[in-house]
Amino acid sequence: MSKMSVVGHRVARPDAYDKVTGGKGFPVNVQLPGMLHAKMLRSPYPHARILHIDTSRAEKLPGVKAVLTPADVPNIKFHPVFFSPTLAATMVRDMLILSDTVRFAGEPVAAVAATRAEIAEEAAELIQVEYERLPAVFDPEEAVGPGAPQLYEHAPNNIVMNPSFSFGDLERGFAEADHIFENTYQTQRVHTCYMEPRVCVVDSDARGNLTVWSSTQSIFGLREKLAFALGLPVSKVKVVRPPYIGGGFGGKLDMGFIEPICALLSRKTGRPVRIEHTRYEDFITTARNPIKMYLKTGVKKDGTFAARHARSVLDTGAHATHGAVVLMVHGMYGFLLPYRCANQKWEGQTVYTNNIIGGGFRGYGAPQAAFAVESQIDEICEKLNFDPIEFRLKNIHREMEQHPFDPSFTLSTYRLQECLEKGAEQFGWAKRRPAAAGDGTKKKGIGLACQPLWVSGCLGFPDIYEHSGAILKLNVDGTADVSMATIDLGSGQTTVLSQIAAEELGVPMEAVRFTYADTETVPFDAPSHASRVTYSAGNAVKVAAGSVKKRLLELAGAALKAAPDSLEISAGRVRVKDSPDKGMTISDVVKMAESPYVTMVPDGMQKSNLQEKGTLVGISSLAPSSNPSPASAEFVEVEVDTETGEVKVLRVVFAHDIGRVINPAGAEGQVEGGFQQGLGFALMENLVFDQTSGACLAGDFLNYKMPTALEMPSEIKSIFIESEEPTGPFGAKSLSEPCLIVPAPAIANAIYNAIGVRIRELPITPEKILAALGKL
Amino acid sequence: MKAMISLEINGEVHEVAVAPHATLLQVLREDLALLGAKKGCDTGGCGCCTVMMDGEAVYSCMVFAMTAPGKKITTIEGLQQNGKLDPLQEAFIETGAVQCGYCTCGMILAAKSHLSSHPSPSDQEIRQAIAGNLCRCTGYQKIVDAIRLVSVGR
Repeated sequence: MSKMSVVGHRVARPDAYDKVTGGKGFPVNVQLPGMLHAKMLRSPYPHARILHIDTSRAEKLPGVKAVLTPADVPNIKFHPVFFSPTLAATMVRDMLILSDTVRFAGEPVAAVAATRAEIAEEAAELIQVEYERLPAVFDPEEAVGPGAPQLYEHAPNNIVMNPSFSFGDLERGFAEADHIFENTYQTQRVHTCYMEPRVCVVDSDARGNLTVWSSTQSIFGLREKLAFALGLPVSKVKVVRPPYIGGGFGGKLDMGFIEPICALLSRKTGRPVRIEHTRYEDFITTARNPIKMYLKTGVKKDGTFAARHARSVLDTGAHATHGAVVLMVHGMYGFLLPYRCANQKWEGQTVYTNNIIGGGFRGYGAPQAAFAVESQIDEICEKLNFDPIEFRLKNIHREMEQHPFDPSFTLSTYRLQECLEKGAEQFGWAKRRPAAAGDGTKKKGIGLACQPLWVSGCLGFPDIYEHSGAILKLNVDGTADVSMATIDLGSGQTTVLSQIAAEELGVPMEAVRFTYADTETVPFDAPSHASRVTYSAGNAVKVAAGSVKKRLLELAGAALKAAPDSLEISAGRVRVKDSPDKGMTISDVVKMAESPYVTMVPDGMQKSNLQEKGTLVGISSLAPSSNPSPASAEFVEVEVDTETGEVKVLRVVFAHDIGRVINPAGAEGQVEGGFQQGLGFALMENLVFDQTSGACLAGDFLNYKMPTALEMPSEIKSIFIESEEPTGPFGAKSLSEPCLIVPAPAIANAIYNAIGVRIRELPITPEKILAALGKL
Repeated sequence: MKAMISLEINGEVHEVAVAPHATLLQVLREDLALLGAKKGCDTGGCGCCTVMMDGEAVYSCMVFAMTAPGKKITTIEGLQQNGKLDPLQEAFIETGAVQCGYCTCGMILAAKSHLSSHPSPSDQEIRQAIAGNLCRCTGYQKIVDAIRLVSVGR
């Protein structure tokens, strides 16, 4: 691969200096003159009808400026998810801003805006609500059964949707199988745990136009959903791009209750209104959907799949939100497409319960599926005595094959085999011992898992936005300003996009700066989600930079009396390829373009050509039809204490094929952070609710246990199998999600290798291990 | 009922009227516009609000402002000397220890406090020192790298 001057280098993040000195750009810091603070009153019951609300005492409290109840909100049912049009079929519209029926404990029923947050909180407690309690259901399999409480008229038996896909002939496939494996796997509810709480400030002008600052993963998504829920044209809503947000991981991929509530309170009062979630409110606002998976897999003697069948039951909680799309991604990219098998069927159910609503979370249905599929492959290998790498190599797709979902796409770069082989070599896979071979009470084991194919974009989901756009403008000092709607969640989107722009323009990294953007000033953009930004937004910024570069070369060509195609740009200078001494700085070209027609020079007046005048600006707006899939394989060593049930992850080797790596330090950071979230999913995290009252029992970081630095292994080694993706910016694909899809099954398989017992339900706690060992 | 107290923050004395229940975090952010300390949970669970009091790392959401007079408080805004970043701040940039950045200021101050009394910690000691500070982006590896980089003799 060719060497580049900015791409592929360990550059410092442009936002790091600000963040180590205080970090002012977070939405949580937005303050406006006259700003009010609002608090929501939430239902204590998981299912109830509101008979009466009395707000009189709250309204009398000094400092209270407005109160909002279900009677004050538009009667418009909406869905809050950002990445599809509001009327897309998969987006079930079952939410009101405030409803007179509550369906989970903690659903907002009223809100108060006051001069101080403490006053708003006190006033919310003064609101009297009379409820008629309704029976509740928390288990999705009970919810679809006879006699279960019904949440909505539009969903008989609480079923939001039950899609099914099949290829080939399942019956014949099972008849041809030499061995059949049937296992059930279950994942739990986990939270994204972004560190910055959800927060927003909404201001309105005298004509009701809204301006919104929010900790969101998509300014255009928020504009579209907010306008719809309020019954406004989108042009009445402006959403400002935050310079950065304190993490998202999919948890800020939908409009919350806070934005429409602040909007209505702002319109009522004419003042800016702010809501910041407490951590408890964050915990009951979004979560990874729990899925129960029934797998039946037929395998031939030679180790190839003969038939695969799976049924998945997804608990979407009180509203559909992401539940319908998570289920589809889970079924297709988690189960049906990753491995070759001619005869397959998957059936899914998204089910309403009185649990909290689900949300987006890095991996979006695939971590659940990977836990089941990759665990079961390990069980198959154990029983039939296959090496887990050898078995996978018999069943994976290969480079230059057609994409299994859409044959019009080719897997142009697809290096899963190399991920497996290089990873195995560096990890020392060959030293793997049989299960439970260790002596003593602390037993070590190793395991692996893969994510063979990932959606990374919209392939298979034609109603999902995949757009990106950029405006790139050169300044007279030779620097470039980039305006894009793309949000940097913290994973380094701004860094990678700056590198791509700098490389394309031929300027140093420091010469590119991300600047202000809002929904009125920049091209439409899909959210920062689905491992798409490096690829889709990367291509957009490259095109914008390319168009500036073309103009720059034309102008320099005129000034240097050389053909534009005889010029090149390097280190901020335009020069003639064959005689590098003949050239001028980018700054001089821009100065010439932005100077008046007549310029004063020492010899007097000099006229230039009017064709050479104007700001050097490039604009792009693109919507690729798909993103190429990354692939990954991960190797883990654990130590299990058979006396206490404690699992310690000792070391990790994680290999990815992501095309060309734009920023190695950023890519490693994705792998390391993804592993932490995966380790939490595998061993620790569980957003537990009381199964009678529906109350959240883990609504703070003292009770919701996510990994600290002490639980993490001392080393996570990242390997990148680089290739040049022909459609990617400088050959890049994307990365984020596989980093979290793979760890849980890799850890589960390593635990099996250590102690010889299989845990099929996450998280794998000490209690479950001791019970499986017969010690409890 | 508010009372006037004086707080010594980053070497400067601030007179501020505080309510009895106001936390140091609230006073820093809302009264003094020192925004480096972040509210991540307000229940002493995440460490985003970490500041130093007499050199000790504390969760400022767990300290009543009324108890802080007489202590030397250091926030991230006080770490730069003569316009130069603290070596820990430099190291966080250099190693790629910053992602979303919401935990970063608290993490740096937790590390700063530990290094002032233990200048040459082992990796395990570094991990122990920041175990009260949650980060959801980085997996901590590059944060440990950054702190190791400024440890004496390592």
